Amino acid sequence: MRVKLIYSHSVVEKPILASIVLKTGIPINILEARINAQKGELIISIPASGEKLEEILNLFRESGVQVQEFIETLRIDWDKCIACGACISPCPTRALRFREDWKLEFIEEKCVACGICVAACPVKAINMP
Amino acid sequence: MSEEDGEIRSIDEINEKIKHGDAVVLTAEEMIKLVESSGLEVAAKEVDVVTSGTFGAMCSSGAFLNFGHSDPPIKMARCWLNDVPVYKGLAAVDGYLGASSMSETKGFEYGGGHVIEDLVSGRDILLRAESYGTDCYPRRHIETAITIDDLNQAMLVNPRNCYQKYDAATNSSDRVLYTYMGTLLPNYGNITFSGAGQLNPLCKDPNYETIGFGTKIFLGGGKGYIIGEGTQHNPTSGYGTLMVKGDLKQMNSRYLRGASFHRYGTTLYVGVGIPIPIINMRVARTAALKDDEIYVDIRDYGAAVRPDLRPVIKRVSYAELRSGKVTIGDRDIPSSSLSSYKMAREIAETIKKWILEGTFFLTRPIEPLPKHGRTKPLKVKGRELRVGDIMSRNVITAKPSDDIKEVAARLVERGIDHLPVVDEDGKLAGIVTSWDLARAIAQDKRRLEEIMTRKVIVAFENESIDVVVRRMAQHNISGVPVVDRKNNVVGILTTDDVSRKIVGGRTAQ
Repeated sequence: MRVKLIYSHSVVEKPILASIVLKTGIPINILEARINAQKGELIISIPASGEKLEEILNLFRESGVQVQEFIETLRIDWDKCIACGACISPCPTRALRFREDWKLEFIEEKCVACGICVAACPVKAINMP
Repeated sequence: MSEEDGEIRSIDEINEKIKHGDAVVLTAEEMIKLVESSGLEVAAKEVDVVTSGTFGAMCSSGAFLNFGHSDPPIKMARCWLNDVPVYKGLAAVDGYLGASSMSETKGFEYGGGHVIEDLVSGRDILLRAESYGTDCYPRRHIETAITIDDLNQAMLVNPRNCYQKYDAATNSSDRVLYTYMGTLLPNYGNITFSGAGQLNPLCKDPNYETIGFGTKIFLGGGKGYIIGEGTQHNPTSGYGTLMVKGDLKQMNSRYLRGASFHRYGTTLYVGVGIPIPIINMRVARTAALKDDEIYVDIRDYGAAVRPDLRPVIKRVSYAELRSGKVTIGDRDIPSSSLSSYKMAREIAETIKKWILEGTFFLTRPIEPLPKHGRTKPLKVKGRELRVGDIMSRNVITAKPSDDIKEVAARLVERGIDHLPVVDEDGKLAGIVTSWDLARAIAQDKRRLEEIMTRKVIVAFENESIDVVVRRMAQHNISGVPVVDRKNNVVGILTTDDVSRKIVGGRTAQ
């Protein structure tokens, strides 16, 4: 499960993520981080589901962190896509790859919506909603 | 004469078979499989034609268009289609629309390649032209909507298509590069490559025995012809190219796609496919060449130098490139293509279908492609302007231990904004600007070493001014210390020096 965490300036300096990792024992992976003294935004991947996942999300909320679940990341216009591959190697999380038949495949769970592929696509087939 | 020269079948014999529906046609991938399972001898005996294909960005593409005469008529001196400039150094209503010509209103987003795709799709295109008026062509302005059907001729004539193979790209620098080879991540973050390798037309007949002037081909979904070798044809190094022509009105926008490379410009993806008649053993062997037998260099685009001088990082096969990762040193670097293997396959399948249906016959070239020759670089006559020509040699520097207020006073006195900081040996250790000093004073800092920027963007004396100006723009800075190879400061170059001392590429008096 990937979620975006938004830290306001009042909580940005607290080691919230580290505390939750220690408390729950779940190895949360940070995919992308933008932090300064005023605020922070983290995109994380939580290798948990069901109650355990809910528990972790609630721990973030209780600590004053806003939690946004990723519903949709990229929109690929499959009629426009020419399966060239220009988006594949620039993708930092390997969320784009070729299938056996050389059609493009998008693995949404891996995507962190960084937008590199949007710029890399020569036929403007990728958009971020 | 080697054994491989002996003719197995002639093109006339193959055409006879096509007419009777007896020709054996395989795509290059199928030929590879057959050779693997039954051996080259059997494959050469059985197979009449091997089909190839490629679908990639080919910037040297474009179309000759004839608009027809209006009443009153105009000698179009300047002309635009959907705001994309059309080359008008031709007769009154002839023009050439180049794929990489960019829209004057939409820039990178839309260009000649897109206009070609829109024409082929049958869409309305805004034609605008201007003239100075002549006795025979009095009209001075025209603006109207046209479609491809309104044009007398729309001929795709591409001076360089279908590279035999193309060097792959990576980036050693510390920032993202946006190139015609796509997005290149810093510190060798990825590798991009182009070309269909084992499906690539010229790779299937690298001795140009069956491919030459007059060869009929698949071009943009229609039938076209090779009209000669392409520009930058470089057969000696194995980088041949083709010049091709075809009727745009018969083409299909599935195989002609306008494209734009981020911060580079517009281009056209062109589908090209060539049938290879298996006339002898050598052609049979090359038609079955596999990705792991076709090699290119990986070049470093991090160095802003002439393409052939870009450092070679590794020589690598298309098989390794297409596997998705290339090992360099102890790292696996992600690699991906810019041309579509899926579409290349589809094009090879399409020609195969045409031949089996009896709607496509093979042609014997009327002249072979040149088999020797290299591409020369452009020699620039006269001396290029270098950093050393306009930098200030009288550099004021400071030491890391200097007091900030004293340094600020020195800057004001001398009227300068950039101050390189050097250590006891005179080596560059950092830089401070007047802005850094203003902030430091406001924050009550004492010593330069507390505030100086330690990662300094520098220039060398023999570097081209254009390269260094671009470097300053990219890092959003207005000055760079000029250092020698031992990191001693020998000068400073600021945007002020550049704007004040250069007028139209020459140094002002």
